[in-house]
Amino acid sequence: MLTVFLFLPAAGALMVALLPRERSHEAKWVALAFSALAFLTSIAVFLRFDRDAVGYQFVDRFEWIRAGTAGFSIQYVVGVDGLSAALVLLLGLLTVVSVLISWNIEARTKEYFAYLLLLETAVAGVFVSLDLIQFFLFWELELVPMYLLISIWGSGRKEYSAMKFLLYTLAGSAFMLVGFLMLGFAAGTFDIAALTAQPPTEALVPLSLIFWAIMLAFLVKLPVFPVHTWLPDAHTDAPTAVSVMLAGVLLKMGGYGILRIALPILPNEARDFRVALAALAAVSVIYGAIVTLQQKDLKRLIAYSSVSHMGYVLLGVSAMGALGLSGAALQMFTHGAITGLLFVMVGLVYDRTHTREISEMSGLIHRMPLIGTVMLVAGLASLGLPGMAGFVAELTTFLGTLEAHPAATIAGIFGVVLSAGYILWMVERVFHGPPTERWAGLTDATAWWERTAMAALVLVILAVGIYPALLTETIAAGVAPIAQIVGAA
Amino acid sequence: MGMEQVWLLPAIPAGIFVVIALFSRILPRGGDWLAILGLITVTVLGVLVLIDFQGSFTGGHFDAHGNNVFAFDWIRVADDFFAIEFSTFVDAIAVTMIVVVSIVALMVMVYSVGYMHGEARYGWYFALLSFFTAAMLTLVVSGNMILLYLAWEGVGLASYLLIGFYWERRTAAEAAKKAFITTRIGDVGLLIGIILLWRATGSFDIQTIIEAARAGAIGETYLTVSMILLFAGAAGKSAQFPLHVWLPDAMEGPTPVSALIHAATMVVAGVYLVARFSPVYAEVLIARDVVLYIGLLTALMAATMGLVESDIKRVLAYSTVSQLGFMFVALGVGSVTAAMFHLFTHAFFKSLLFLGSGSVIHATEQQTVEQLGGLRRKLPLTATTFTIGSLALAGVPIFAGFFSKDEILLETLKGAPLAAYVALAFTAALTALYTTRLVVLTFFGEPRNRHAHEHAHEAPTSMAGPLVLLAALATVAGFVALDGVGKALGFAGGFGELVFLEEGHHFKLDPAVAFGATAASLVAIALGWAYWSGAAERAARARRWAPELHALLVNRYYLDNLYQAAIDRVVLGLARVVAWFDKRIINETGVDGGAQTIGYFGLRLKFLQTGRIPNYALAMAVGLAAIALLAFGTQ
Repeated sequence: MLTVFLFLPAAGALMVALLPRERSHEAKWVALAFSALAFLTSIAVFLRFDRDAVGYQFVDRFEWIRAGTAGFSIQYVVGVDGLSAALVLLLGLLTVVSVLISWNIEARTKEYFAYLLLLETAVAGVFVSLDLIQFFLFWELELVPMYLLISIWGSGRKEYSAMKFLLYTLAGSAFMLVGFLMLGFAAGTFDIAALTAQPPTEALVPLSLIFWAIMLAFLVKLPVFPVHTWLPDAHTDAPTAVSVMLAGVLLKMGGYGILRIALPILPNEARDFRVALAALAAVSVIYGAIVTLQQKDLKRLIAYSSVSHMGYVLLGVSAMGALGLSGAALQMFTHGAITGLLFVMVGLVYDRTHTREISEMSGLIHRMPLIGTVMLVAGLASLGLPGMAGFVAELTTFLGTLEAHPAATIAGIFGVVLSAGYILWMVERVFHGPPTERWAGLTDATAWWERTAMAALVLVILAVGIYPALLTETIAAGVAPIAQIVGAA
Repeated sequence: MGMEQVWLLPAIPAGIFVVIALFSRILPRGGDWLAILGLITVTVLGVLVLIDFQGSFTGGHFDAHGNNVFAFDWIRVADDFFAIEFSTFVDAIAVTMIVVVSIVALMVMVYSVGYMHGEARYGWYFALLSFFTAAMLTLVVSGNMILLYLAWEGVGLASYLLIGFYWERRTAAEAAKKAFITTRIGDVGLLIGIILLWRATGSFDIQTIIEAARAGAIGETYLTVSMILLFAGAAGKSAQFPLHVWLPDAMEGPTPVSALIHAATMVVAGVYLVARFSPVYAEVLIARDVVLYIGLLTALMAATMGLVESDIKRVLAYSTVSQLGFMFVALGVGSVTAAMFHLFTHAFFKSLLFLGSGSVIHATEQQTVEQLGGLRRKLPLTATTFTIGSLALAGVPIFAGFFSKDEILLETLKGAPLAAYVALAFTAALTALYTTRLVVLTFFGEPRNRHAHEHAHEAPTSMAGPLVLLAALATVAGFVALDGVGKALGFAGGFGELVFLEEGHHFKLDPAVAFGATAASLVAIALGWAYWSGAAERAARARRWAPELHALLVNRYYLDNLYQAAIDRVVLGLARVVAWFDKRIINETGVDGGAQTIGYFGLRLKFLQTGRIPNYALAMAVGLAAIALLAFGTQ
């Protein structure tokens, strides 16, 4: 089933690419069909996931390069635990949303949708791969569609931003590959489950070096201060759907990597550096929030808030306990849904106003009550209002980290005052206030694809916020073994 | 219907909120009748809960653990390791709050039918009122800190949306934002407090926490810090110094909202929280003293500001801040009964005053006293009811406020240093003074704005009804303290027994305190009357007498300016510096600079690759020679 989920979008991409030129307007329908099918598959995976069973589920495996001939084996193996099941669901949902809000793309539609679907396959590969080499391949594969999507369909300094994104990730992943190879040769296997069960005790270089080599790639992706500056640029210049994917799922690859690979395979090193990680997290939260306060561009504001909010993921990780790790995993999911929705809303506003300068807007809610209301909902969720998804994740994180890192946690809690500041300031400036002549002609979100995209994400945010058990039990099942490993180390 | 079904109380308005919010366009009259119908049901059910509560209450003892019902898992992480359960809990404090919230909410909704008539977003307004009621009722019946926090932020959200109801006005939108962020600063304290208490006791259940704290299971310093943090949340919500600045600005919302949320119910949530934890505060006296002195300072400060304010609603807002300070003083000396009693009476007379001011604004479309005056002939009903509310606020005998304020003064005299008592008694006299000023300037004397005066008209029935009912309550609500009335209601000891069960507490008027306070109030009223009903230039003379003092009060002790400066200079200044650092140092110097450096070297070094064999051969020869020299040289 996972293999189906993994390659369905790729098959869709192929089909879109093979559409005859005169039927290129059908590309979006094909993309929608395939992403919807993949979403249904991800729902099936999530629902049929057995929370009480131990180990990975829905595993598919075959050997690629046999151990007999090469001395080690490289295999194709996919499977999910509670952690990846949740992220797979998020990916399925956000891809459908991304396709929907791309409905009006005019330029080179075939290629656009093909790349978008290819992106889903690449990210899915990261979330379900259980072999280091395979993980690395999908990690790198994701760069290709992203680079093209930003540099072709983006705006502003799009080539600069796309290149920056590419170089940053490549630099990180070069270290990651070296780390993976060292680990693989030391243990004689690249199988993640095997490595987790029996982590290598020594390698060519000190294990702490390997830990930081791998972590560097993940921290760049997350991103944390000071390797974050690619993110605002990439977001600002990317098309809306790509921003949604970037904030919604691509950043989660970093957090996922930490939880899946860095922590369970190198638990002793992770524990040794937990104070450093907590400090980095606290700085990211506060630094990101403070920089956000000063942003004048609507999209950049949301982008910088991501730096702050992803800091909570690292904060949860740094406590190395079941609760903190659950908080980190929850924060990945909820931030994906919430920030995904925020970027959808920013995109809808930009489609109408053709500006993102906050100072130029006023009283937009008069003409766009629905967009204004949903933006407020997304904003409130983002600032951690209870009853919405973000609060559940933040609360769980804080509960899990206060004991281990009191100072960093209190800094993190003060971050929520700053987020209330920038979110409410933005809502007040853009949507409230007297309506102006300039914006008298705007229309609200009326198209079915706009409304479906908004409704889906609002529903998820409220459902998780009101009854978190929907999500927490699955995530907890995935996190518990990881917590056991790092906790015992 | 008993205490087990108390969850129905918030569930009904919550459901109505969803219905009106989604369908207000197709519902007749925007669904206002649905909201009112829901509130009538809630009020009836609330009374049933009260009756059930009386039944389970025998001989001064009440089994608090028997009714922790309706629990369900909210989050369960890592199996048994950690779970948050929701539960409801009904005790005397909760029952009092249920009665107050449902009656005032019902009155305000009925009143709003007249007041908000013809407004755009009429249905949305009633949806929000229902949402607020649901959140407020959840807050008062929750037995669990997480559910309480959820509702706590829920009422904050309702307040934000209702203050900003007229979002076309920039001032309203900014006031809403200010209210949310200011209270959120307190909420951070509350959240940290909740987490600290959870860490010490392993539980979010309020009764479990209280028992653990009383049993000495938590270290004293730790507990003191936790309780002060809880009070920080209470101070934010209940507008206590230094977080009081949002409440006067919150008057940008529709007036009935000010009556419900910013006078009678939401702003007393902080009082409620501290009252709920009063057994714990009794263990940590430093934290209780913090409550006492913050309350006292706030009461005094706000009363002085109310003395010079000219906006009729803002005077009432300062008065609310001040009266909330009185309640915290009562809690600070350990008298839950006095605090809850004042909360109870204050809810009626202050919502009456707000609705009365709404009636004035509705009639004249003016809300500064410079534009009012002489309205008692034009608006006889409003003037009468407003005066009744004022007498209650000023603490004149037989009116509700007299009983409760007297109780607080008495408890302060018993439980706090004499200076605190004197300051509080002085504040009580100031209260009578600013109240008199407001009444005189609004309803007596000559009209200062002829045009507004001539067009003034008395309120419609839907507005008049609640005014009359609340005026009746503001007159008689204090009698529940009397033993006879208490017996009639089912409690031998009256309100004292209702609220503070373990030590049934009988009200006794202390003649010296009661007489002193009454005399002070009457003198203040007479002074105020003589002063403000006189010629205008006589009133202006006071400003010349102490211009600096007047400026200090009018500018609210410059606190708002200080905060604004702190935000502009410190927070945003820091943000500018950090944003510059992020842009120039990290990004352009570090990242782009790094790229450019590499690019530069690439550019230079590429000339080495000429592709011509002789060049390479030369370099090779030089290199070999160097190696050879080195090799031989070292030998």
